[in-house]
Amino acid sequence: MPTKWISRKDLKKLPDQWLKQYDVYAPIQNGHELAFQLVKESAQIVWDVPSNPRYPAKSLFLPQSEVLMSYDGILHSVEKVERPKVLFGLHPCDARAIRLLDHALVDEQNPDEYWKSKRQSTIIVSTACISPDESCFCTAVGGSPFNTADSDALIVEVEDEFCVYVLTEKGGVLFSKLPDAEDAQREKVEKLTKKVEAGMPKAFPKKKLHDNLLASFETDFWKEVSQSCLGCGVCTFLCPSCFCFDIADETVRKERVRNWDSCMFRTYSLEASGHNPRPTKMERTRQRVMHKFVYWVDLVGEIGCTGCGRCVKYCPVNIDIRAIAQDALHREFEGMKK
Amino acid sequence: MKNCYEPFPMHIERVVVETTDATLKSFELTFDRKEDCAEFFEKYNPGQFCQLSIFGKGEAPIGIASAAWEGNFVRFTVQKMGKFTSAIHAMRAGDPIGMRGPLGNGFPLGDWKGLHLLVIGGGCAFSTLYAMTKHILHPSHRAEYGEITALYGTRNSGLCLYKPVIEEWHNRDDMVVHQAIDVPEENWKYHVGFVPAVLEEIAPSPRNTVAVLCGPPAMTKFTLPVLTKLAFPPERIYTSLEKRMKCGVGHCGRCNIGHKYVCKDGPVFTLKELQELPNEI
Ligand SMILES: Cc1cc2nc3c(=O)[nH]c(=O)nc-3n(C[C@H](O)[C@H](O)[C@H](O)COP(=O)(O)OP(=O)(O)OC[C@H]3O[C@@H](n4cnc5c(N)ncnc54)[C@H](O)[C@@H]3O)c2cc1C
Ligand code: SF4
Ligand code: SF4
Ligand code: FES
Repeated sequence: MPTKWISRKDLKKLPDQWLKQYDVYAPIQNGHELAFQLVKESAQIVWDVPSNPRYPAKSLFLPQSEVLMSYDGILHSVEKVERPKVLFGLHPCDARAIRLLDHALVDEQNPDEYWKSKRQSTIIVSTACISPDESCFCTAVGGSPFNTADSDALIVEVEDEFCVYVLTEKGGVLFSKLPDAEDAQREKVEKLTKKVEAGMPKAFPKKKLHDNLLASFETDFWKEVSQSCLGCGVCTFLCPSCFCFDIADETVRKERVRNWDSCMFRTYSLEASGHNPRPTKMERTRQRVMHKFVYWVDLVGEIGCTGCGRCVKYCPVNIDIRAIAQDALHREFEGMKK
Repeated sequence: MKNCYEPFPMHIERVVVETTDATLKSFELTFDRKEDCAEFFEKYNPGQFCQLSIFGKGEAPIGIASAAWEGNFVRFTVQKMGKFTSAIHAMRAGDPIGMRGPLGNGFPLGDWKGLHLLVIGGGCAFSTLYAMTKHILHPSHRAEYGEITALYGTRNSGLCLYKPVIEEWHNRDDMVVHQAIDVPEENWKYHVGFVPAVLEEIAPSPRNTVAVLCGPPAMTKFTLPVLTKLAFPPERIYTSLEKRMKCGVGHCGRCNIGHKYVCKDGPVFTLKELQELPNEI
């Protein structure tokens, strides 16, 4: 796939051209914060995104609340023709999360058509993260601020110009008219990549972390790390790779909807008999962390946390999943079982 | 669009009050659309479940209690517990209802061919074992399996499900049925005692035998060690898990234990598989 280049001035005009054919979603200012929203014109787009917008881009594919069916005596699927979309300006960690969610929502037997149709109609154009936030740790969990793996195109800013890595045919359509990048330009990107990556955390030893966490399962470690948790669910709602949802009936609107849900809530696994397999915040915190660092690894061979830093930054009591992982790595759990 | 969340429109054809206290009722559902019926029976394997759906009350996962050869209907036996189950208990023949399924894996009947079966059940969880046993007893399948021994426990005789059919089973010469109640009753001809104790007493041989166990959590918990004591290996002991569920197809995360989703990878697991999962049941 080709690598292209474009000046800042020209890049800023590109989305206006896309808008003729596509709905464009990009970080724009929304009150006090940035959010991935539908863009009316290029001028609205915030180009220098210092850290990940708080509200994750998964909401464009798995909205916080989504109508699945309407009811008129029987339930009918709500079929929506998805308009072609460009999702622009997310960092590679968020693009990775969207690809991870494909594993969760699209299986051969029962694909989630609501997710699938939005995915298929969207071109993902990421921007490299050249000044990662202090809560970022993508490099610890198998990613990189310059990761090209999960996007249709990746844009890297170098010295007021932009290198465009076209990564799929789908992505190529948006940049077909641009000139190819020169070798000198690519070298600059490579240098920049090395420099930024060098300032970021080292990769967790994935296997050791997996095994240590499994060994910790029935120990008081979880009591310790969950002590201050409020069970507010912020960490899971804002997490780009969390996908749990509830299905509920809205009887006045006559609709069956799905809403984001959270394993950090007490009633999440409560059964009709009163039995709750995860009765306290200890089991619930354990589930959140184990799902990311153990179960995802067992299922697809990679860590299910993308290191986006949202849960670290927005937890009201500063529970830090990086610190939990580090802690688990440096303890001896064998023989600690209760 | 083939929407995995959209229920088939169905109607309740027949309601059977199963127990003297009326906490358990069976509902036989028929399909409004021929193509849904064909799709269902093409996939159905005993041990699977469906999400039953009543708009306004939501959905509940319920095991399938009928064998395919019984006809173009699907039976569910429901215990009255909370919101959904109370709503269905108030419904009658002729009422409309939704159904998604069959869901989950079901029993690996193909792998059990040529083996003897020990079927142990209690409470409403007996329903899928009932469907499976009916399936196997059908003349076209019976010869594929060895001896069948069933042990079915209920708190008292009034709570026994499917009474007429269980009576017939007692009279069959190609299976042995042990029934048990917790405390003695007048005119009771069978065992008295809890399922684990009765199992120890009848002590079936593990030779070439698969044990399938479905019951309330307490029964399962105390029966598994007895099976182990009788030398059933963990990979020959099967049980069906109940977890809270929403989507039923592995998407919503609700029924997750370890790297498994009970709705999609289960609900039927071997004891060996369960031993390898985190202790979170
Ligand atoms: C695979 C499977 C097979 C089952 N088979 C049967 C059966 O054959 N007969 C039967 O009577 N019951 C069965 N159950 C249990 C039945 O699903 C629950 O009793 C029922 O969901 C309770 O719903 P409710 O609305 O009446 O109770 P509420 O307490 O009002 O439940 C609210 C919600 O909690 C969830 N929930 C609560 N308890 C359970 C539970 N134990 N399992 C799953 N979800 C739960 C449901 O999503 C429900 O919508 C089965 C459960 C599973 C997972
Ligand atoms: S667990 Fe935290 S850091 Fe990891 S992807 Fe989710 S929100 Fe981001
Ligand atoms: S954001 Fe923090 S306090 Fe809230 S549920 Fe998550 S870990 Fe607990
Ligand atoms: S019920 Fe949704 S994943 Fe199992």
